[in-house]
Amino acid sequence: METQLVLEKWPGSISVVTIGAKTAEGGSRSQTVQIGGQTALPLMFKEGVMPNRPKIAFEIWDIAPVDFEQELMTAYGRAINDPFTWAQVCVDEFKADLICLKMQGTHPDFGDRSPQEAAKFVSKFLNQIKVPLIITGSGDNAKDNLVLPACSEAAKGERCLIGSAVQDNYKTLVASVLADGHSIIAESPIDINIAKQLNILISDMGLSLERIVIDPTIGALGYGLEYAYSIMERARLAALSGDKTLACPFICFVGQEAWRVKEAKADGRQGIAWETLTATSLIQSGADILVMRHPKAAENVLWYTDGLFRGQ
Amino acid sequence: MQKYKVTFFPDNLTVEVEKDKTILTAAISAGVYINSGCAGEGICGRCKVILKSGQVNTRSCGMISAQEKKDNVYLACLTTIHSDLEVLIPENSRLNFDKLTPEELEERLAGLYSKVEDVQIIRGTSEDQAFDDSGFIRKIYLELPAPTINDSISDLERLYRGLRGAGDFGVIETGLFNIRQLGELLRDYDWKVTVTLGKRDDSVEILLIEPQDTANKNFGLCFDIGTTTITGQLIDLNAKKILGTKATYNQQAVFGSDVITRILYSAKADGLEKLHLAVTDTINQITKELITEQKVDLNDVYGIVCSGNTTMIHLLLSMDPSHIRKHPYVPTANFLPALRASEAGIQVNPRGLLNCVPGVSSYVGGDTTAGVLSSRLYQEKDPCILIDIGTNGEIVLGSKDFLVACAASAGPAFEGSGVSSGMRASSGAIQKVSINKDDFSVDYTTIQNKPARGICGSGYIDLLSAMLAAGIIDKSGRIKAEGKRIRQTDNGKEFVVCFKEDLQSSADIVINEADIDNLKRSKAAIYSAVSILTRHLDLGFFEISKIFIAGGFGTYLDIDNAVNIGLLPDLPRSKFIFIGNSSLAGSRQILLSAQAKAMADQLAAKITYFELSVDPAYMEEYGQALFFPHTDLTKFPTVRF
Repeated sequence: METQLVLEKWPGSISVVTIGAKTAEGGSRSQTVQIGGQTALPLMFKEGVMPNRPKIAFEIWDIAPVDFEQELMTAYGRAINDPFTWAQVCVDEFKADLICLKMQGTHPDFGDRSPQEAAKFVSKFLNQIKVPLIITGSGDNAKDNLVLPACSEAAKGERCLIGSAVQDNYKTLVASVLADGHSIIAESPIDINIAKQLNILISDMGLSLERIVIDPTIGALGYGLEYAYSIMERARLAALSGDKTLACPFICFVGQEAWRVKEAKADGRQGIAWETLTATSLIQSGADILVMRHPKAAENVLWYTDGLFRGQ
Repeated sequence: MQKYKVTFFPDNLTVEVEKDKTILTAAISAGVYINSGCAGEGICGRCKVILKSGQVNTRSCGMISAQEKKDNVYLACLTTIHSDLEVLIPENSRLNFDKLTPEELEERLAGLYSKVEDVQIIRGTSEDQAFDDSGFIRKIYLELPAPTINDSISDLERLYRGLRGAGDFGVIETGLFNIRQLGELLRDYDWKVTVTLGKRDDSVEILLIEPQDTANKNFGLCFDIGTTTITGQLIDLNAKKILGTKATYNQQAVFGSDVITRILYSAKADGLEKLHLAVTDTINQITKELITEQKVDLNDVYGIVCSGNTTMIHLLLSMDPSHIRKHPYVPTANFLPALRASEAGIQVNPRGLLNCVPGVSSYVGGDTTAGVLSSRLYQEKDPCILIDIGTNGEIVLGSKDFLVACAASAGPAFEGSGVSSGMRASSGAIQKVSINKDDFSVDYTTIQNKPARGICGSGYIDLLSAMLAAGIIDKSGRIKAEGKRIRQTDNGKEFVVCFKEDLQSSADIVINEADIDNLKRSKAAIYSAVSILTRHLDLGFFEISKIFIAGGFGTYLDIDNAVNIGLLPDLPRSKFIFIGNSSLAGSRQILLSAQAKAMADQLAAKITYFELSVDPAYMEEYGQALFFPHTDLTKFPTVRF
């Protein structure tokens, strides 16, 4: 007798977020990227649909990176010293779907570029690089509150994903993103309640839940990955059960976490493995965007994703 | 009756007392406190005084040495007054603070004398009609027939016979102290005496036999000993009438704001003693102010009933509380017999009794039992909830068929402590607030309409709800608006409720983001405990027929606003009944009724304790409630901001 699998039927679904706008939509992107839309837990193809594969965004800085491991520097060669070339390499050679532009150069300790300079940089970047764009601040709240609105305005109409809003500092960014037609990254410290609260606070300001992507904060393999994994899983279970305030896609900053661990610092090949394994684990807990650093790790993840989705 | 003047030195205080009263009694009436560890039985020998002039009668007791006899040393409790007297109280006999260093004094009495305040309480409509029997303390005036050759039973039997003729008292017991003086007393006063009876568990004790009819002077005290606030009432036990209510902060707060910190402190050198003194000092001070204001003699106060959480009762009685916080969380005692109040350091008549309302467990104490008693939750047909919003919040869910209780450590914010402009619900406390949405101007009323001095719990509930509605704070409690009332400070932003210029006071009344965080944690602890307990019993909120809200909120609590901020579940408002300080009300009932005491014993045995910390869902639920009103908005369908 054939075994009958018990299949879950979920009332909720994850919202679909589109990043990038083509000319017809008021932007200048060559393509758009959609994430989310799942109606079941990750990869449970028999229970529901997973219309959009997890996407890889290549992490690019607006300045030459200062503390990257040698392995990363070697992977990009001289291109890494110029953000435009660096991004172009990612698009042309490594087939990046998305670029995640980190405005590190605006940080008071890393160049302290002004908001006007940042805006000018973003305009130029959008002119040269045509894939959809994610823009993140330097992590200095006060400075980000000046820089990100300027970047947002410079990218008006391009439907970027901009981050990060945190519980203590979300109003300025939400107002800009709302005005300029982008989507927002809502960052919470491995805490499902704060993730939820922040989403409510943001939607209270008028930015719809369909324009929020959750950054649950992740740890690399061996450095808290399982915490992030379980928080993401719980959020997904709640969302699929009908909780709209958690029904947003996830963005996971894999590269920065994986390359921080001592194993990666000790041996570059280990770093690649670390980044690969962290990313592939998170795909299984529902990651929609993986922000990655090493092209070889990104290639591994793409290969792995192809395998996962082959039978769909 | 002949009266004499007794002057006490070094205080140089004079009091007029009747002949045959003891020097100890005179001292108590004068407000001069003399050590009396044995409650005036002549056993401990700690109440030695030196007679400077005057005539006295005394009894030998073996406590006074030959040399002391020469020096005119007497035991105050065994020495009666037969003329005007001058009495010196030596250092060793004094029960006062002179022996303390200035630092110790400051620690023990920090702010004590200025802080006792009148409080207004609301009273449940039916609470005092629940029991109609006589209470803890009774005074019976007897005119006994003098013995004859045909009626020659002994004096003591004669007294018992007289008492049995006056009522059914069951087993009567008394101490040697009373029997020794009986023969002389009865004959001196023509067989007319007043007997004060104190109810112990299965018997009554003759506390005191006094000459002539003093039955009309019969007073008692009831206290709610909260972690943060201590409230006391003086009751005329004959008229069953409340004469006054006063409250102050529990002075133990200097040793830690929550019970666990205080338990830890009690293990330090002298820690238990300090905590014990802090609470008895506070009780004695409240008592002193109550009797002074009502012109009641402390000798006429014979009984006191205290309700408090288990730790508070341990500290009151100086019992080691350390096992309350250690697995498996066992207290020294939940059910305590009636005790001599003076043994616990409480100053009433030295022979007066102390009853503590029985507790349920280490973390659900007699205050909860008293709350169940006074709310009459135990008589309800359908499940009801009692929520006591205090530093140690307690929740009881049940009906006449079952009672389950849990404790939620909510912190003192709703009692006005630990928040920058917080105060108790006493005169001048802002208790009702509304805010104009356009210009953020604040409209408020204070208790007794006195100039505003601070904000009490109900004021904070209104204020938070109004700030949410006006868009001054977001749902996480951060101040998001701007305007002349909003300022940046070291504690984050603050909102000015009243400017000092408008108050003619030295400080603005404000609420800052740290205050809001404190209040948010308090309300989350209460709500999540209610939610978990209900779920644990497989009940839905909709199945709850009544919700009794208790707490030191003064006379007012806006249920709508309490729901808006997520303190109380979103249920039809008609289900909520605000009952004020239910712990105090319960202790008052026990003071006034022996049946109420018996019921409290039954309830404490019947209530099942549910430990929240073993339920993994509690932290989850608590985290979700750290938001206004809640992260799961479907739980608050009527709340709209």
